[in-house]
Amino acid sequence: MRLLLVEDEIDIQSFLRRSLEEAGYEVGIAADGKTAQQLAVDGAFDILVVDLGLPDMDGIDLILKLRQRGVRAPVLILSARRSVDDRVRGLEQGGDDYLTKPFALAELLARLRNLFKRNSPSPAEATKLRVLDLELDLLRREATRAGRTLQLTQQEFVLLEYLCRNAGRVVTRSMILDQVWGIRIQTDTNVVDVHIYRLRGKVDGAGQQPLIRTMRGVGYVLRDR
Amino acid sequence: MSSETVKPRIHSAAWRISCWATVAFAFGTLLVFVFLHRFVASDIQRRSDVWLSGEVETLGDVAERTPKGALYDRVVSEVAELAEREVSNRRATEKVPSNSVFFLQAGSDGSLTLWVGAGDGEPYLRAIQKTRILPDLPTDLHVGGIAVPFRVVSIALEDGSHVYLGLSEKDELRVLNRLRLRFFLLWLLLVLLGFGIVFFTTRRMLGHVREITEAASRIGHSDLTARVPTTRRNDEVGQLAFTLNVMLDRIESSMHQLHTITDSLAHDLRSPLTAIRGKLEMSLRYMADEEHADPIVAAIEELDRLTDFLNKSLDVAEARADALRISRSEIALNELLKTMIDLYEPSMSEKGITIGLRCEGEVKVLADAALLHRMIANLLDNELKHLPHACQVTISVRQEDDHASLTLEDNGPGFDPSVLQNVFERRVKGRNSDGHGLGLAFVDAVARAHGGAAKAANREDGGARIVITLPLTAGDFAGQADPIAHQIGTAA
Repeated sequence: MRLLLVEDEIDIQSFLRRSLEEAGYEVGIAADGKTAQQLAVDGAFDILVVDLGLPDMDGIDLILKLRQRGVRAPVLILSARRSVDDRVRGLEQGGDDYLTKPFALAELLARLRNLFKRNSPSPAEATKLRVLDLELDLLRREATRAGRTLQLTQQEFVLLEYLCRNAGRVVTRSMILDQVWGIRIQTDTNVVDVHIYRLRGKVDGAGQQPLIRTMRGVGYVLRDR
Repeated sequence: MSSETVKPRIHSAAWRISCWATVAFAFGTLLVFVFLHRFVASDIQRRSDVWLSGEVETLGDVAERTPKGALYDRVVSEVAELAEREVSNRRATEKVPSNSVFFLQAGSDGSLTLWVGAGDGEPYLRAIQKTRILPDLPTDLHVGGIAVPFRVVSIALEDGSHVYLGLSEKDELRVLNRLRLRFFLLWLLLVLLGFGIVFFTTRRMLGHVREITEAASRIGHSDLTARVPTTRRNDEVGQLAFTLNVMLDRIESSMHQLHTITDSLAHDLRSPLTAIRGKLEMSLRYMADEEHADPIVAAIEELDRLTDFLNKSLDVAEARADALRISRSEIALNELLKTMIDLYEPSMSEKGITIGLRCEGEVKVLADAALLHRMIANLLDNELKHLPHACQVTISVRQEDDHASLTLEDNGPGFDPSVLQNVFERRVKGRNSDGHGLGLAFVDAVARAHGGAAKAANREDGGARIVITLPLTAGDFAGQADPIAHQIGTAA
């Protein structure tokens, strides 16, 4: 998958390139708006990551120009600004997404995946999710592990479903808060950890391999191997 | 909603102004009328006195020249009756004069020698004897049994008798009464007219002021680009609007500057933070060794705290300047609280703290959901950090008139009395707090940005209480609009 990264800060550019390449993207780089326009129009990119503060032009103007010139690829906007301005909201409604700096790499990757999924025809929604010996029946809102039914509250089921949909990938605390509770907050307390801890107690029975792993300093991951 | 609460007060100002103006006007015109009345009354008096003096002299002449005898009475009576016919101030329709004039001659011994007039002359004589009447000086005479006094002039004859000519003041009084009645009606009309003119003019003027007040109270909370309405006339109110607009221009430009500063500050700090965080995450990925990973994990967590601190500081700074950018939508406060409590409940119960929500029905506010989330998260984080084991937190939400009230109570140790007064200030924190002292400042900032308020107190039976009020709708700033309206009311 081809990704165009438009970012002028060398430091951010270099680590983003490395981690995006590790995640399997083929990364093209532009450090200013002019280069970005040339590259985006010439090379067929599947997805764009655009920083709003470019040296030669405003990121949103760049995106609007690219749209005019027929670039259809979805855009993830990186913003160091404090609030989302109305134009970003407009783009968001148009199918693009934004992320404020600083961000967790896991979140960046998750948003890129979502953006891509949103913009490609989706297969029929599965009614069942299966990760190793964990099975979720989305219609009956039931979860079983190795045939044993798990007694989950509704909230716990939603949390487990989110982890399953991202099985094998790291999800951060703020991603969990956003996706499971619909809340965008920064908390320095352990609210999410306690929910995970409780869920883990129900999912991982005695003698079973622990499914939910804590990635310290990053977030959580549901094993798929 | 607020306009309805503001209106009557300003009307009452117009009412008050016109009342005072009318009182002054009425008093002034009354003075003028009283003066006129006195002038007219004394003029009428003077005319009738002149007439009386002339007539009595004629009568005295006639009486003196006419020899005493059978004819005397007749001659004098006829002269007296003739005099009566030419009484001044008489109403034209009144053909037969009834006892408006009398002629009386008293002998030197005080007996009644001649009487021309209605009825019996004795009471008149008695009244004359009681009153000291000096010759040639018209005097008021009150006769028993007759309500209206007579104006009496006397003249002494050579034989020692006195001739008295009396003119009833009835006509004079009637003229004055009519004059008074007309004056009064005219005065009433003038006063009412004056009141009406003043009232409508003031109301119109204060109406402009009210428009300006309403517009001004809207500005700043919702929209800084709006301006107060201006009138074409360059009067005081027009000047007020103009000055306010100039002030708003300045506020808008400094607000814009503030946004630019906070934005660039945020940008300048966020970019390096992003780079550092990314690099730390990258190095963490290649770190198989748990032990060596610890400092990096700790560093990432510190960075996240720093970012949070940066965000909150800027938010609090902006909110203090009334510049927090909010995007409102309709939010069911009770639902939002339920979600937040569901999120925090497990962590609370881990610490042995119970948390409950009390609400009666749905409470909807027009507010920024993200800010409310962060505000309540701040409150609950605060409780989670500071409450000792086995405490209880109760959140109640209810609707009061035009605002929603959210109360958070606990039975913990309460606020440190030394910080209670300024617990919502930046950097104020309890002695044992490990926070950066921004949590409650942010709570206050969010409440203010929405046009509400936050109050903190210690409960009588121990524990802390924080009450946050939020207006139900965005346009409703009754809390702010009222004192303004009141000031205008009292200033006017």
